[in-house]
Amino acid sequence: MSSKMTDTTDATTPARGLRSVLPASLSLRDAGTLLGLVLILIVFASLNPVFLTAPNLLNILQQSSINACIALGMTFVIISGGIDLSVGPTAALSAVAGAALMAAGVPVPLAILAALATGMACGLFNGTLIAFAGLQPFIVTLGGLSLYRALALIFTGGNPIFGIPQEFRAVINGDVLGVPVPVVIIGVIAALLWVVLNRSPFGEYILAVGGNQEAARIAGVPVARTKITVYVMSGGLASVAALILTGRLGAADPTMGNLWELDAIAAAAIGGASLMGGKGSVVGTLLGAVILGSLRNGLTLMNVQAFYQLLATGIIIILAMLIDRATRGRG
Amino acid sequence: MVSQTPRLAVAGIEKGFPGIKALDGVSFDVRPGEVHGLLGENGAGKSTMLNVLSGVLKANAGEIRVDGQRLDLHRPGDARAAGIAMIHQELQHIPALTVAQNLYLGRPLKAAGGLLVARRAQEARAREILADLDPTIDPARPIHELKVAQQQIVEIARALLYEAKIIAMDEPTSSLTPSEFESLAALIERLRQEGVSIIYVSHKMDEVFRVCQRATILRDGRFIATVDLAETSEAEVVSRMVGRDIQHERHVSHATATPALRVESLGDGRMIRDASFTLHRGEVLGLAGLVGSGRTELLRLVAGIDRARSGRIQVNGQAHTFRSPREAIAAGIGLVPEERKKDGIVRDRSVASNIALPSMRRFSRMGLIRRRVLRQEATDLMQQMNLRPPNVDRAIGQFSGGNQQKAIIGRWLAADVDILLFDEPTRGIDIGAKSEIYDLIEKLAAQGKAILVVSSELPEILRLSDRVMVMREGQIAATLAGAEITEANIAAHAIPQSKRRGRSLAAEPA
Repeated sequence: MSSKMTDTTDATTPARGLRSVLPASLSLRDAGTLLGLVLILIVFASLNPVFLTAPNLLNILQQSSINACIALGMTFVIISGGIDLSVGPTAALSAVAGAALMAAGVPVPLAILAALATGMACGLFNGTLIAFAGLQPFIVTLGGLSLYRALALIFTGGNPIFGIPQEFRAVINGDVLGVPVPVVIIGVIAALLWVVLNRSPFGEYILAVGGNQEAARIAGVPVARTKITVYVMSGGLASVAALILTGRLGAADPTMGNLWELDAIAAAAIGGASLMGGKGSVVGTLLGAVILGSLRNGLTLMNVQAFYQLLATGIIIILAMLIDRATRGRG
Repeated sequence: MVSQTPRLAVAGIEKGFPGIKALDGVSFDVRPGEVHGLLGENGAGKSTMLNVLSGVLKANAGEIRVDGQRLDLHRPGDARAAGIAMIHQELQHIPALTVAQNLYLGRPLKAAGGLLVARRAQEARAREILADLDPTIDPARPIHELKVAQQQIVEIARALLYEAKIIAMDEPTSSLTPSEFESLAALIERLRQEGVSIIYVSHKMDEVFRVCQRATILRDGRFIATVDLAETSEAEVVSRMVGRDIQHERHVSHATATPALRVESLGDGRMIRDASFTLHRGEVLGLAGLVGSGRTELLRLVAGIDRARSGRIQVNGQAHTFRSPREAIAAGIGLVPEERKKDGIVRDRSVASNIALPSMRRFSRMGLIRRRVLRQEATDLMQQMNLRPPNVDRAIGQFSGGNQQKAIIGRWLAADVDILLFDEPTRGIDIGAKSEIYDLIEKLAAQGKAILVVSSELPEILRLSDRVMVMREGQIAATLAGAEITEANIAAHAIPQSKRRGRSLAAEPA
């Protein structure tokens, strides 16, 4: 039919001009997120001299690292067209599992592996239900959110687990050349994930499944395997975040990770992930997490009440989405 | 009967889409009380013309006059206000609402000062109008309980309710049985005698000759002629529609005797029953049939998209049971789907990424994609196929339909499949790219690929195929070869026995 038209919209020319100045690995969208971060940094730096000092900046990175870790997993899930609401309770369950083993005297590396396995098992459960039973990701992980929280609470009787070995705490609270270990861990993970998303066949599969699942299937993409893998990744990264927090606090609380999923979704969305699937960026999500972290840090330095911090976070998220919409044309 | 001022006068209408000139100076007029055919192949511009008439699309140039009054169409509502009603091929109503509610959709009769809908009054008025058209339709019933033919009558009733002077019908018989067509033809005749003008879009020649007095022929978006049907023949009209003698374009066969794909009594337990055929290397096998005869379903079974319940598939002598497209691809079968946007492309990814999807293993080493190799190969492939613009890094969604199709075909060449299944390969593709796709299919056959082509366009089937299978009600009704491949023969086998009545209806519309 002649009326079936195809859009042949030309890439806008100003974008091309800017494109040539940027390094190839930084997309235009990521550059926008970076610009947003720089603006926020400038505002706070002009309001408070302490803000733009090396110790405080490292502090921001450290504070952002847990959300960044969760958000990276969330980004992969979102790109695949899904959502993982169960990350907080997944973190809690793997934290108490790991902590219980450590407290019982199991060697730390083994306990770490067990914690990771716990998180990945949660992801496997989510992913299997989504890929094979055809359930909605939102509902499955909403169920997981209650389920894993309940398991953590039942397992601990609702009490935190103490007795985390000093050797483990020392590693997490240490630094590498002045950079806090959690920041290093997230940096390494992010670099690996960037390669996975941008350079590996699996990355193409995730983008294709999220962009158009049926077309991907017909083109031979292993859709079920791809989906399950992203949820396993998300569960595993929740465990990493849980271990970092456990090491820093010296205890594993079964109520850990309350509302983490929302911070993670916010960071991914600010970083350019589309909740419709098919779009998202590792660099963008990291920047998104740092934007949220900077905002909180800056407002705290200025003694702004927590209520107003929440207000600011909400405004930033909505502003980011409006700018995204306006510059990209479609969500 | 013929008055001086035409009821509808269309002059010099132009409409372009990026990459396609859909309408290029189309002019015709329709008299009061005339049924006027609008004819052309798929892509000739019929639907675009209707969309311009109904105000859905805005013309770039030209004018439309109704009873001499120039229209300024901005919204669909403007056309309706001017007395133009549109009856779409896909009937547009809300299934759960009643007949009366659908009739008054968007402008209900009000009661209680506009707060409530005057349901009773709507039904009474609906009953009055329907009494003339089909008294068996109960206005209080939900519309989805009606047969398609009755739903269509409700659409006509809606047009009359708005006192339409011109009713445009887009392929109105695409889902009607022959006897339902008879009733529709009678109804159209009555409306005509009451002075309503009707624009009748169809590519079924016998229907057009039956109900229309004159017809306007479009080809490639251009006005070809307005003909008086009493003074011309079907063959004459068809040749002007197609603009060439089809027989002269029969291609050279590259078929060999080596079977590439052997399908034996394949079935899906629902629609497809006992489908058996053999496809040879270098052969182009056409698959004709009405819409709903099971052609797409059969392709999907062979491509592993849907699971077969019975039967066997052999590829190059090896038996297979496909549980996913991935397995079919591994066996060497690739599908170029009909609905490119839904089943073919990942819109936001580059052409290169779309090409690489089935062949990721080949394009990667040690778990990483070799982007440079992929880019080079994709560029080479697309250069051969004349991708425009020739940039494989661009998102595929930014290309025209024909260029997207080249990328999807390129995908299977990169995957080096032996068997290519095409479902409506030129649907939604402009005429220039169309012949490129035809040439490409022939070239692939010459290279020894085995090719199965589903098409609703008979000229396409005739142009491409070495042999033609005709499907009817989920079964392969006939396989034609050589001189047996004629339009009439294909049509005869395509029409269900129960409905057969000698209509030379051959293919279903787009």
